[in-house]
Amino acid sequence: MGAFLIKDIMLLLRDRSELLILLAMPFLLIAILGFSLRGIFSGDLEALEMDIALVSQGDEAQAVASLQNEIEEMGLPPGETQALKQAAESASPQTMLVSLLEDESLSELVTIERMSRAEAQESLDEETVDAVITLPQGFTEDSLRNMLFGESKSGELELLVADLSSPQTDVLKSILNEFVRTVNFEASISRLSGQQSATEVFGGIETITARQPITSFQYYTIGMAVMFVLFVGSTIAGQANLEQKQMVFDRIRLSNRPPLLYLSSKAIAAAAIVSVQLTLLFGLSALLFQAFAADSWAFWSGIAIISIVLALSVGCLAALMVAITLRLESDAVPAIFSGGVISLMAFVGGSFMPLDGMPEMLRAIGNWTPNGAALSAYFSWLLEPELGQLTGPLLRIAVVAVIFLLLALAIFPRKGGAA
Amino acid sequence: MLETQQLTKKFKDTIAVDDVSLVLRQGESVGLLGPNGAGKSTAIAMISTLMKPSSGDVKLNGKSVLKKPGEMRRVLGVVPQKIALYEELSAYENLKFFGRLYGLSGNELEQRIDYVLELVGLADRKKELVKNYSGGMQRRVNLAAAMMHEPEVLIMDEPTVGIDPQSRNHLLETIRKLNQDEGMTVLYTSHYMEEVEKLCDRVYIMDHGKVIAEGTKEELKAILSDQETVLIDFDQNYPELFTKLSEIEGVQQATAEEHSLKLIIPKGTRLLAALFHEAERYGAQVVNVNVQTPTLEDVFLRLTGRKLRD
Repeated sequence: MGAFLIKDIMLLLRDRSELLILLAMPFLLIAILGFSLRGIFSGDLEALEMDIALVSQGDEAQAVASLQNEIEEMGLPPGETQALKQAAESASPQTMLVSLLEDESLSELVTIERMSRAEAQESLDEETVDAVITLPQGFTEDSLRNMLFGESKSGELELLVADLSSPQTDVLKSILNEFVRTVNFEASISRLSGQQSATEVFGGIETITARQPITSFQYYTIGMAVMFVLFVGSTIAGQANLEQKQMVFDRIRLSNRPPLLYLSSKAIAAAAIVSVQLTLLFGLSALLFQAFAADSWAFWSGIAIISIVLALSVGCLAALMVAITLRLESDAVPAIFSGGVISLMAFVGGSFMPLDGMPEMLRAIGNWTPNGAALSAYFSWLLEPELGQLTGPLLRIAVVAVIFLLLALAIFPRKGGAA
Repeated sequence: MLETQQLTKKFKDTIAVDDVSLVLRQGESVGLLGPNGAGKSTAIAMISTLMKPSSGDVKLNGKSVLKKPGEMRRVLGVVPQKIALYEELSAYENLKFFGRLYGLSGNELEQRIDYVLELVGLADRKKELVKNYSGGMQRRVNLAAAMMHEPEVLIMDEPTVGIDPQSRNHLLETIRKLNQDEGMTVLYTSHYMEEVEKLCDRVYIMDHGKVIAEGTKEELKAILSDQETVLIDFDQNYPELFTKLSEIEGVQQATAEEHSLKLIIPKGTRLLAALFHEAERYGAQVVNVNVQTPTLEDVFLRLTGRKLRD
């Protein structure tokens, strides 16, 4: 076993292109993505600051007063009339939106200025504002009628942005989506009880931003690490293919060594390489980018546990790829895996971006990939260093690893030749 | 010591090896001669226990090795046609790896590496990466790797393909020493007639998957014992004269090559008078006339109607 391991590691160390892929490239990507997207992840909101123009085309006070008169004339019992009138005043969506945008929690992020439609359009064209939110004529009345009486027509907001693909736009959309959800919730409550305080509901936004944020360097160190460990599988399978082509594999068979020793040595070599790879990536990221606290033994113990489980899992994946490669006598498997499957696994595993907005099925698949489950384990540990948090993701990695190993044993051509 | 019985290998519709029976006695050097595609490598793969035959058997000391190849693999040293080495490792590192696979370690391993490197003449360049060696040097390390576990039988599949004459001579001399000085049994596969003729005591000639002739070199050449080969060199090419000479009564086969003509004739044929007469008629100058004993190449030509390297 030792001879196989030493040989595999020596071969890797002498293959500069593979070393570049396994070590230099992820580190480079961590640096690039970490620096360029740090505003999004780090809680330093400078990169996301935005100026918004608010255009109100109706008269809110008049709309509320008109609705209150209508409630008065409905002939309801005095208590109910009073409650509905109060709800109309306190649940006015325009007031709620302005309160939200001017809320303390968003004050670092959003600067809001009221303008006329023409002024707002001109400012957007001149890029002195990043977005224009327009509350059209009848918005307040339609929204309140929808909220209080369940009428089908509801108020509609209009959002104009300077750059559709900018991170600011994404953030603004998510704020407005949250607002719409809140208004809908408010509508249900109002219909049931006749009154509700808006600020209690807006607490949801505070909850989202209350967490200790993950920095971009942390995110991409983990994202790139769990992605690039997968390349070790194709590297090892590529080596096996070369050994078969050059008949070195036949020479190994002639040495009378048990065939499974060869397969297990490949798995262990892969796990060893992944361990070194993860140590270097996390270590360099901590030292050069201060991505992680370098002196916390408890923290690093958790990282080590996750890394060992991930390394063993990639070892099993490598064994499976070696088995298929030798069975098919083709280099197609490592080529397809490194050429496309890894990118796909990285995407569904969340290496490139958080999967929060992705379909549930995609997230479920991602959670069952070794990289996706490892990413989830690393993040859980980063946010809350409790061992109990790791049980789920580590169990998933272990289950997948066992499946890989069983398939590898079934496929590996251990009876090749006359034997 | 080692024998195959009616060994056959079929690949779908093709029969690569057809009913081949070979015998290797201890200490013998046996040649397996045949053109490319004759089935030699497939036969070698089955004898080496690397490929399962469709039918037939391979026996070592009377015991079949098909189900239990371990003993066969222990005594065999196989030198494949390809360079079965890690190019990114040095000769020393390759030999160390293969030596460790055979259970060697420590001083024993180091001594064995020194011995085989000395044997193939690469002791002073052992630290260089295999990829930086010439083709000939790579083939020498290929042989050294097969020698690491002190095999009793050396099976070589075209070990000199594509190498320079100097490396080729070195390799052939090494194999001759292993066989004659150390008593190693050798099965040597080649389509180079002169290599087999130089190294081997007995020869099997294969074509289209079958053994078409076998015996000692003398026995095989005796196939042509009633004939002789006359090689005539001229001062230049005379196509019309060559045609005329090939039509002389008794000439069985004529092969023209630039300034020379090779004729196979029954022994005792009176050729020279007619040759000089015709040469004078065409104004040609005869530079050399050589009456040769038949070679294995001639035997192959006679048996198959083709040259070994066709």
